[in-house]
Amino acid sequence: MARSELRVLALVTEAFGGRGGIAQYNRDFLLALAKCDRVGEVLVLPRFNSGSVDALPPGVQQLRAVEGRHTYSLAAACTAITHRPIDFVFCGHLRMAPLAAVLSRVLNVPLWLQIHGVDVWHDLSALQHRAVQSATMVTSVSRDTRHRLLRWVEIDPARVKVLPNTVEPQFQPGPKPGHLLERHAVGGKKVLITVSRLSSLERYKGHDRVIRTLPRVLEQRPDTIYLIVGDGDDRSRLESLALECGVAKNVQFTGSVPAEELPDYFRLADVFVMPSTAEGFGIVFLQAMASGIRVIGGTQNGTRDPLCDGALGTLVDPENGDELASAILAALDDPTRTGDRTTRFKPNLFREHLNALYRFFSNQNGGSVPARSSVRREKIVTPVPSAFHSLEKHQPCQ
Amino acid sequence: MCGIAGIYAYHYAANAVDRGELRRIRDYMAARGPDGIGEWYSSDERVGFGHRRLTIIDLSERGAQPMVSADGKFVITFNGEIYNYRQLRASLEAKGCRFRTQTDTEVLLHLYAEKGEAMVDDLRGMFAFGLWDAEKSALLLARDPYGIKPLYYADDGWTVRFASQVKALLAGGKVSRDPEPAGWVGFCLFGSVPEPFTTYQEIRVLPAGSMLWVDRVGVHETKQYFSIADTYCQAEAARSPANEQDQQHSAREALLDSVRHHLVADVPVGAFLSSGIDSGALVGLMRDAGQREIQTVTVAFEEFRGRGEDEAPIAAEVASRYETRHTTRIVTEQEFRNDLPKILEAMDQPTIDGINTWFVSKAARELGLKVAISGLGGDELFGGYPSFREVPRCVRALAIPGNLPVLGDLTRWLLTTALPSSLNPKAAGLVKYGGSYAGAYFLRRGLFMPWELQTLLGGDTARLGLRRLKPVQHIATVLKPKPKTSFGRIATLESSIYMRNQLLRDTDWASMAHSLEVRVPLVDKKLLNQFASIAAKNGSQSKRVLANSPRVPLPPKVIKRPKTGFTTPIQSWLERDNRIQEWRRIPSLTADKCPWARRWAFQVSAGTAAA
Repeated sequence: MARSELRVLALVTEAFGGRGGIAQYNRDFLLALAKCDRVGEVLVLPRFNSGSVDALPPGVQQLRAVEGRHTYSLAAACTAITHRPIDFVFCGHLRMAPLAAVLSRVLNVPLWLQIHGVDVWHDLSALQHRAVQSATMVTSVSRDTRHRLLRWVEIDPARVKVLPNTVEPQFQPGPKPGHLLERHAVGGKKVLITVSRLSSLERYKGHDRVIRTLPRVLEQRPDTIYLIVGDGDDRSRLESLALECGVAKNVQFTGSVPAEELPDYFRLADVFVMPSTAEGFGIVFLQAMASGIRVIGGTQNGTRDPLCDGALGTLVDPENGDELASAILAALDDPTRTGDRTTRFKPNLFREHLNALYRFFSNQNGGSVPARSSVRREKIVTPVPSAFHSLEKHQPCQ
Repeated sequence: MCGIAGIYAYHYAANAVDRGELRRIRDYMAARGPDGIGEWYSSDERVGFGHRRLTIIDLSERGAQPMVSADGKFVITFNGEIYNYRQLRASLEAKGCRFRTQTDTEVLLHLYAEKGEAMVDDLRGMFAFGLWDAEKSALLLARDPYGIKPLYYADDGWTVRFASQVKALLAGGKVSRDPEPAGWVGFCLFGSVPEPFTTYQEIRVLPAGSMLWVDRVGVHETKQYFSIADTYCQAEAARSPANEQDQQHSAREALLDSVRHHLVADVPVGAFLSSGIDSGALVGLMRDAGQREIQTVTVAFEEFRGRGEDEAPIAAEVASRYETRHTTRIVTEQEFRNDLPKILEAMDQPTIDGINTWFVSKAARELGLKVAISGLGGDELFGGYPSFREVPRCVRALAIPGNLPVLGDLTRWLLTTALPSSLNPKAAGLVKYGGSYAGAYFLRRGLFMPWELQTLLGGDTARLGLRRLKPVQHIATVLKPKPKTSFGRIATLESSIYMRNQLLRDTDWASMAHSLEVRVPLVDKKLLNQFASIAAKNGSQSKRVLANSPRVPLPPKVIKRPKTGFTTPIQSWLERDNRIQEWRRIPSLTADKCPWARRWAFQVSAGTAAA
């Protein structure tokens, strides 16, 4: 039964119409996947309800979100049955991996699993563990996330690849926008900025560390304003902290800003700083660098990737206040704007790499195909048949 | 014979190759290659190779590496010796290939151009190389069938780095130092770190007899092109010479052929000599192969003078029979104490062995040798170890109780909780493991038992490491396909576990630290092919065949001498060394009968040995 086009079932938290880094990543991913050679249709089943969805790209169909955990599983199973045949399953989040693994096993098709970050900072549950092992390929958003996954899971490291975030075209260099200079009264001042949710569950982002460093920064650069963009349940605590440190005058909380205003906020700033200890990747760093401002991030986590080990921005030990202060001062002292430094994270490279990964995935043996374990056991030198025979003759993607 | 290094920034987001890093990796291996250095970078700076050279074949500058093919399409950095390179060269020349040097390195480049990755099947020798194929934009890493030459790689998801030593990769400064629990657990269980693990999560061994491609997607699945188990299975199916005389004749021919090939060099080739059959017979065969001048070297200890353990007198007798230039090198406790920090520094991965090789290599280098022949591998090929008898016996006795579910764990639990701690920990594992070849072999070679690891390594490392390594299953994987004869099974286990992870690896670091190349004619793919069927039929009697092979026979003393293993006074030296006393903290290690290797292993794993 040779069909010319493949159908992919994609289980994701959110994609089209969603907000935030993961939704963005999923959109980029699914769009590129839909354009891959021989992929005819990508069926997207999101878990969370999102905003309005504009016209979907050809080849992509997004089903209605199903929020409940059990109802989602049921919906996924129904989708798999009613939309048969499914040629492979893509799973966009580790939490959904056990469900995706079961589906791929029942359907007898390979599984492509994507992981993002904090979900692998601790040992995985037994079910997640098995799900990851059954994946034909795992893509991770950063080297650090990959490294952490491999700490816990017994899987051939060759099957775990890295596919970084990409950055949208609206983030680009430009002059400081007048209306924001006015709104925040920062004309003639140096602006430090952090953009993130202010959640008490995500204190690792490091707003505290920046606020505590501010007195030292202000000593030498009294004209500095620290702009905290984003909102959440941790905001009042940070406000009190700023008071406590005696820098309340120099810290402004913007609350959440509409997505379309975000590029302007980056352009308003001189330096983006987020000394986080637990980023999976940190797409905001790319947005800041694309806007041409200097960036400072933390070592020992996914931030090393957007900053390319320090080639594109400054990496500091987040727990070292002196290091952070001198990095901020050095960045503020440099008046030149850097221009867009994110050429290596542009969508075209992302798409090309996804194509190459897709070919690798297609040629992998085993994965979740039930015959895999017995095939492996017998294998010495003999080549193992391709996971899905219908793909054997496929050509490289465009 | 050299040190190799390389970096390939395969991912589109990765930084270009950092030349400083590559040089740090390369130059950490200065002792592996004191005679020359080289580097090469692709024009886009995405690939870089480094090389440290020990000149042995074609001593001229033309033999320098990394070597680029005449058409610029292929680049290689190579460590090892291809013993059949002259034959390969002749057939390539017949096909029209033109050579610029006399090296085996250039043969590899032409052979790859001719055959692609299938080239590895044609190679006889020891090798580890990285080959850049500019047409494919891909890197090929390959390692010899037995894993004589080491090759480690680290893939962080953007960039892959490789080198001949783990510590060299770390010296580059960009590879994670996060520990690999499976490596540490493996070390404590076996006394050496089992392939493909190292003690670092990010660094892996390219397994023996395997190759690996890296392209812009990253590292592909390792492909195994040679299997010892498979060779024994095929030999068992084939017919071997029927009568003893024919067997002896064909064995002699095969051995002589291997020795002859292992003498290929543009510098003198010496030999390590002990009082055993293996090294003595090899020296006799070196004579038969036509080598006139042979420098032999034996290590001896003042403490053993006049005692049965002293190998020096018998070795000297062998040397005089084969008219070699012979040196007995005395090692004293003082020298050992002085060298210990250097030994631990040179020890690339934790191990409980290698110190003997350190001193004999040191002695050979002092004599001006660059290459020495060693009898390593004889016990694996000819069934010299007691395991060839004991493991099958154990499996026969325990096959039934060992297969009863729960019984093994139950007896283990009973024995470890109810009986005093002075009980040999292996006794407790007898029922649990003794019923299968892999399990019984694990008992035989095991240093610690899994339930002892928590005390040594801590709960998390022990738990994660055991989960990943699965020691008995790990052993069982080398027995696929499973040879029919017990000899074939044990020979496969000994060659694929103990010899590979312990003997060969220790020989590599301990000899290379002295810039000495050790060659092992008894560890040879072709010899195994020819010999496996004879060995499978003759079982443990086959060592006789080796002893009878030199035209001038070995002295009868050598043949009749009971197998003792190589004993040294090193244990008592270590025991007296106040730098090495950490083990006294662990109750189970202070028992009188506790083997020294267990204490030493703990010492090494505690990382305090160097202090």
